[in-house]
Amino acid sequence: MIRRNDFVVGVSGINAADNPGPGTGVARSLLEDTTLGARVVGLAYDALEPGIYMDWLFERSFTLPYPSGGGEEFVDRLLEIQATHGLDLIVPNLDVELPLYIKYADELASHGIQTFLPTMRQFRLRGKDKLPEVAETLGIDVPTTRIVMSDEALVEACGEIGFPLVVKGAYYLAYTAHTLAEARGHFHAIAAQWGYPVIVQQLVRGEELNLVGVGDGRGGSLGSVAMKKVSITSLGKVWAAVTLKNPLLATAAERFVAGTKWRGPYELECIFDPEQQRLYLIEINPRFPAWSYFATGVGVNLPGRMLRHAMGLPLEEAAAYDAGRFFMRYTYEMVTDMNRFQDVVMRGATL
Amino acid sequence: MSASERLAQIVFHDDGFLFDPSSGESFVANPTAVEILHGLQEGRSEAAIIADLTSRFQVGDEEARRDVAEFLARLKTLQLS
Repeated sequence: MIRRNDFVVGVSGINAADNPGPGTGVARSLLEDTTLGARVVGLAYDALEPGIYMDWLFERSFTLPYPSGGGEEFVDRLLEIQATHGLDLIVPNLDVELPLYIKYADELASHGIQTFLPTMRQFRLRGKDKLPEVAETLGIDVPTTRIVMSDEALVEACGEIGFPLVVKGAYYLAYTAHTLAEARGHFHAIAAQWGYPVIVQQLVRGEELNLVGVGDGRGGSLGSVAMKKVSITSLGKVWAAVTLKNPLLATAAERFVAGTKWRGPYELECIFDPEQQRLYLIEINPRFPAWSYFATGVGVNLPGRMLRHAMGLPLEEAAAYDAGRFFMRYTYEMVTDMNRFQDVVMRGATL
Repeated sequence: MSASERLAQIVFHDDGFLFDPSSGESFVANPTAVEILHGLQEGRSEAAIIADLTSRFQVGDEEARRDVAEFLARLKTLQLS
């Protein structure tokens, strides 16, 4: 039984680098819910994930074996962390580890480690190959999308969609291509790094609007916040953003959680064409996005609300937020002793 | 959402900074444009807006008429009119 004000939450995705993971924003949100009283530990895959060194967020950090290594070793490591430090809840924040956490959710729960995740069926719905189906139920549009597994299929897809188009990995990376040669280059680079399938998608013009929310698993929403990216990095990651209230996006989010009975965090990535008043669904992420702290900063602490709901703690109505609140990232330098790095390399954990 | 509904919800600031809360877009408008937008949001007629401009900015009727026509055309391209 988890006791309020005395529980440990494991948070992954603490790679706050140029392609930032969501973990530091999730941890910061949990700590800002001061009456929740969570203690947060970092779950990392590499000794150079910056979160390991952010001791004001993570009281300790532990490295995990890569999810691709198989479930048993992964679960054993989590149980070892539980035994040596305590681990009551996990908020996984990386796409590649989610299937493993979903598969082993019951086993982890039987050992006293809770999660609040979508089911495997829900998780598959967010696959890029399922987008047209999902978009139809949300009452919004989706760009023409083709799943390609070979060079021949790529050529065919490019012919059908026309240039410019977007070449994407199933989990990560998305590049715009203006020619077949460019598309081929991106296709092979993505396949080499992340494997197949590769997605080829019509490039839709408009404003990129994103929404982060949490579904309660019964068709209800624990809250959501929408924003527009005002500036992005060369990797396409948000650097500055502004909150907004778009009726089409809000309705799509309501339909998404109601129709799928989504359980856990999600992000809807959309393109809004203000001239045509059309909203296109580009991607569904089955986890908190890296910009989740923005929602907390405008009064909607989604990680905190999710944990409260998962633990059956009192939960007030989600606060309303204002459109026009601004978000700006910045870089920061930390100076620390080498022994933190040494501990993670040699022992797989900070002391 | 229709163009007029979109126009109605645009947030104005006195310095000419405008924000559309449904798309997250922001615009910078000069004082003449702000005056015209205020008039449109208040539902004033084109003739009344032109009269406002001539009295507020000390411009002739013809110049005010041209400014309003050009600005309305610009709003149309932004799907705000």
